[in-house]
Amino acid sequence: MKDNEFDTIVIGAGNGGLTAALTLQKKGKKVLLLDKGRVPGGFASSFVRGRFEFEASLHELCEYGDESNPGEVYEIFKELGIAKSLETKIIPETFCVYETSTNSYYEMPIGEEKFLEKMESYVPNSKESMTIFFSLCKEVQAAFKYFNETKGHPDSQVLMEKFPRFMVVAPYPVEKVLKEIKMPLRARQILETYWSYLGSPASKLSFAHYASMIYSYIIKGPVILNKNSHQISLALSEEFENSGGTVKYLTGVREILVNNNEVEGIITKDNQKFLTKHIISNISPNVVFEKLIKKENVPLRANQLLNTRILGARGICIYLGLNKTMEELGLKNYSYFIYQTLNSDIEYKRMHSIYNGNLVATLKNYGKDSSILCITSLVFGDEFTRLVNKENYFEIKEKIAEHFVSSFEKNLNVNIKDAIEEIEIATPLTFARYGGHPDGVIYGYLATSYDNLLPRIMTEEQEIFIKGLRFCGGFGSRLSGYSSAYINGHQEALKTLGEDF
Amino acid sequence: MKEFKIGLNAKLDMLKFRDLGINREKEINKASKEIKNNDFQLNDLVKIMHPNGIRVEVTKIIKETDDTKSFYLKPLSIDTMPPFQSGAYITLLVSIDKRTYKRAYSISSSPSSLNEYRITIKKDGNGIVSNYMFNTCAIGDKFNILGPFGNFTYQSLRDQKDVVFIAGGSGITPFMAYLQDEKFLNKINSLTLFYGAKSEFDLIFKKEIDEIKNKNNKIKVIYVLSEQKRDGYSYGLIDEEKLLKEKLDNKSIFISGPIKMYFYLNEIFKKLDIPNKYIRHEIFKEIPENLTDKTFNLTIKMLDKIITIPCKGNETLINSMEKNRVKTLVHCTVGVCGFCRSKLVKGNVLTENTFLRAADKDYYYIHPCVTYPLSDVIIEIPIK
Repeated sequence: MKDNEFDTIVIGAGNGGLTAALTLQKKGKKVLLLDKGRVPGGFASSFVRGRFEFEASLHELCEYGDESNPGEVYEIFKELGIAKSLETKIIPETFCVYETSTNSYYEMPIGEEKFLEKMESYVPNSKESMTIFFSLCKEVQAAFKYFNETKGHPDSQVLMEKFPRFMVVAPYPVEKVLKEIKMPLRARQILETYWSYLGSPASKLSFAHYASMIYSYIIKGPVILNKNSHQISLALSEEFENSGGTVKYLTGVREILVNNNEVEGIITKDNQKFLTKHIISNISPNVVFEKLIKKENVPLRANQLLNTRILGARGICIYLGLNKTMEELGLKNYSYFIYQTLNSDIEYKRMHSIYNGNLVATLKNYGKDSSILCITSLVFGDEFTRLVNKENYFEIKEKIAEHFVSSFEKNLNVNIKDAIEEIEIATPLTFARYGGHPDGVIYGYLATSYDNLLPRIMTEEQEIFIKGLRFCGGFGSRLSGYSSAYINGHQEALKTLGEDF
Repeated sequence: MKEFKIGLNAKLDMLKFRDLGINREKEINKASKEIKNNDFQLNDLVKIMHPNGIRVEVTKIIKETDDTKSFYLKPLSIDTMPPFQSGAYITLLVSIDKRTYKRAYSISSSPSSLNEYRITIKKDGNGIVSNYMFNTCAIGDKFNILGPFGNFTYQSLRDQKDVVFIAGGSGITPFMAYLQDEKFLNKINSLTLFYGAKSEFDLIFKKEIDEIKNKNNKIKVIYVLSEQKRDGYSYGLIDEEKLLKEKLDNKSIFISGPIKMYFYLNEIFKKLDIPNKYIRHEIFKEIPENLTDKTFNLTIKMLDKIITIPCKGNETLINSMEKNRVKTLVHCTVGVCGFCRSKLVKGNVLTENTFLRAADKDYYYIHPCVTYPLSDVIIEIPIK
């Protein structure tokens, strides 16, 4: 193999790209990993202001657990040789959720039994349906495991026999299934709290997807990293290089070379040519098909699929370094969901307007006398894009931050502003700047009835429009989110291994 | 139609599962085969707000004091300069003798006039770049700049409505942007500027500052001369007594000036028990004491080649690279921004790591702009 020839080229060193590149390298392939930025991880990074190091994007890692109770992501990291180097911490609660319109508040623990009991204390007579829910969750997870083992080619006979209930519930949204199992309304709404993590209301969100996620949080516990997600990104990238992989930062891709509907290689922005038959793209199909592949080489079907897709959530994040501890502030939880109403359909609609949206906040102590509060609001649609221009950008940014911090203060009845020592505000423009994502989207494509987890997984192989070109990461088949991206990156690498070299 | 019981008596349709793929097919078949090729508006705005370098031309040079000049930079590669927040800086790329030096300068012009930026440079002893700019740079000269960058900005959520600026010498430059920033002045209730210099002839922008002050009764200015006694000016250092006269309680204090001044003031604030929250300072570089003037080898693993250059123990790795005509990624030059982050592969160094990420420290990353060699050193940087 010539110097400029590689078994696989991975474009983008985000969570998916890093995992894909390392997986293939560990399997003995010659891999080139490219990223236009300076540091690995994409948004899985951190930044320093004053004496604070802020996590850029990870709220909590799903499917992780620990050595004694490993989740799928833990197993992958173990296989890749990085699990031991990560300093993780399990958060003892899943979430606390506020419904501001009714002044209600629910705090949910980890552990199946405890979760069940707590729910029963909030919503009497929910136990029976919750028990059914958990048993469905187990079957869903087992079915997904089978999907993985068969690399996306499940035997439908096996599915029917082994996972009949999965097959029955899988096509339906969360709300529908929970109604069917007669879960009381309030219990349903509390259970649906994480819907905004996946960016679709419970009436649209795939039950299978949601069940798998929340169950993992409940039984493994949400995980954060002492040294932020940057530690994972760095561990993956260092291990990749130590395993003989070639990584080039500050190296953007100008063109993906396609001949006869097959991948041939790439040309970088600084005009280097690298040859390969296999590309795993961590960057969005939008950018790949609209900007990187010559128009005459883009199959019409790829255009059609792109045209059916809707960009997912944008995010506005306010990072606050506070000179008080959680105890001094009077707050004891890590994760806070603040919704106006627990009805996710109504809330989802509100989230198309910037100043009406929900807040998801995380809070952790930092050193002995300080804490870090990160307030995130997800925005759907393009209101932010329409609102800002070069004249008003700084003002709008400041106004939004003021609004969200005030809203957090009001709803939790705390004083934050007096404790702010450092502040940074990230808007969709910030994410567009650092990630290059279309319109600064951070959640990939919107999960819709025809474009959520199962339809994507089921049609993935037939939607390889150009031979040798696969996608991973937030725009990939497992949708967005840290664990999704790691799992998806791993799977795309394994699928690539199954192709001709 | 086959039905499955789940749990109580839920009845859901098994065949639905197969429909998942079919429905997706239908959606795709319905869609247009033409791609809209829509350029995303927000990504376009990114290019305006954060261009990848700007080509500029010097349109005007003003001698402000005996050793200070202002340079007006007009954009050539774009129509108007990117918007910035008061307190921001740019990185100026200066080519001298086929070497490219990068230096960070605060923007001293108003954030509302974007036809050009003004930067103000003080001639600094042996400084290669400042001497070049002061003595050689002429109207019509062209440069590349990066930025604007920086966090020496006023934040309504964090900062108080009563503000104190403390400037020492050429440290006045970022405050000049603030003083001309109507939006900022509207947000605050009061502004006290302490401006220290050796003598009245070393006060840069005095006329400009007085004019602004006379038009706005929120602004109070106290000039402090350290080497000249003169009516209408305070004498000595900007010390505890002078500061306390202006009452510092619940005020946000912004400091820009020589590092010695910052350390001196910091002691005062510690004594007065003023929390960090109220104190902002412009970035600065602390030069370690007892550096050796020995020469070592610096080996740089770049994207496609490896080179070795000499480096002196009393110069940062970046300075050695600049002198040896090696491209650098540096922006702020003082170890804060992280742009020059590089991996230390081998060797002993003396480095400042306050602004490194915790995980970066574990994997031996450094900011070469604040790193001095103690032995032969090998670093890795993603440059060509």
